[in-house]
Amino acid sequence: MTKIVTVVGVGALGSHLVQFLRSEDVSIRVIDFDRVEQKNVYSQFHSKPGVGKKKVASLAQGMQMFFGTKIKTFSHKLSSDNQDALLGGDLVIDCLDNEASRILVQAWVRKHEVPCLHGALAPNGSFGRVVWDENFAIDSETELDGATCENGEFLPFIAITSAYLARAAQAFLLEDRKVGFEISPAGATQT
Amino acid sequence: MHNQYRNDEARVNITYAGQNGDLPDTVFSQASDGDIRAWATEAVRNGSIPGIRPSPSASFHGFVVDRFRATRDRPYNLIQLRPKTPFG
Repeated sequence: MTKIVTVVGVGALGSHLVQFLRSEDVSIRVIDFDRVEQKNVYSQFHSKPGVGKKKVASLAQGMQMFFGTKIKTFSHKLSSDNQDALLGGDLVIDCLDNEASRILVQAWVRKHEVPCLHGALAPNGSFGRVVWDENFAIDSETELDGATCENGEFLPFIAITSAYLARAAQAFLLEDRKVGFEISPAGATQT
Repeated sequence: MHNQYRNDEARVNITYAGQNGDLPDTVFSQASDGDIRAWATEAVRNGSIPGIRPSPSASFHGFVVDRFRATRDRPYNLIQLRPKTPFG
C-alpha cells in the first residue's frame, strides 16, 4: 500500500525535499499557508511564475509540470484547531521555520505516535540537521541574526540538507531504518 | 579506530563558522555542557581542531550541545556542539 508522507512547511528545506521525494512510491501531502515571494525564488524550489501564489500551489504546479507528480496541498496555517485534520500519514516531516509551530507538530506526533523527521537550518548556511523526533529539541529563534534564504548564496547548502532529509525519509520508508544527519558545509555526520 | 571507544567516552564534533571538526581526544560522555563549550573554545582559539581554522576570538555562547548514544551504524557516543537551527 502506498505510504503517505506529510511535509509541513514548503519553504527552503521543504520545497526541495518534496522534489527529492518524487521518485518514492509515496503519496505526498504538503501544508503551508505562506505565499511565494521574489526572494524565495533564489533559494527555494519555487519558480518565478509562482511569485504571489500560495507556496503549496506553486509547488504542486512545479511538481506536475516538471515530473508529472501530483501532490495534495493544504494552504492553512497549522494551529491547535486544525492540526487533527491536517497532520497524519505514515511519516510527518517538519520543515517549519518557527518555534511555535514546531511545538505544535512535536506534541501532535508524540501524542499520536506518528514517526516524525525534523529538518532544521542555522542562519547563514552554516549548519543543518536531520533529526528524528525522539532526539529533537526545538531551538528558539532568540539571539540570532542572519538569514537562510534572502538571496541565493545558501542555495547549495539548503539543497544538500534537503537531500539528506530525503535520504533519511527514504531509509525509513524502504528499510524501516531511522538515521539522522548533522550537516555542515564541510560534510555530514550520521547521528 | 571506532572500536577503541569505550562506553563512557564520546567523540566531540564541533561546527563553527561553517567549518567542522572533532576535538582531538574523546571526552567523558557525561561531561557537562559547560565543560564541552569550554574545551571547544580553547581548542578552536588555539587551532587544535583539524578542519577548523584558528580563531582567537571564538565563542560558543548560544551554541547547543546534542548527545547521541552509540548505534549500530555509528558505534561510538557522539556529542555535537553546534549553532542553533531554528529555520527550515
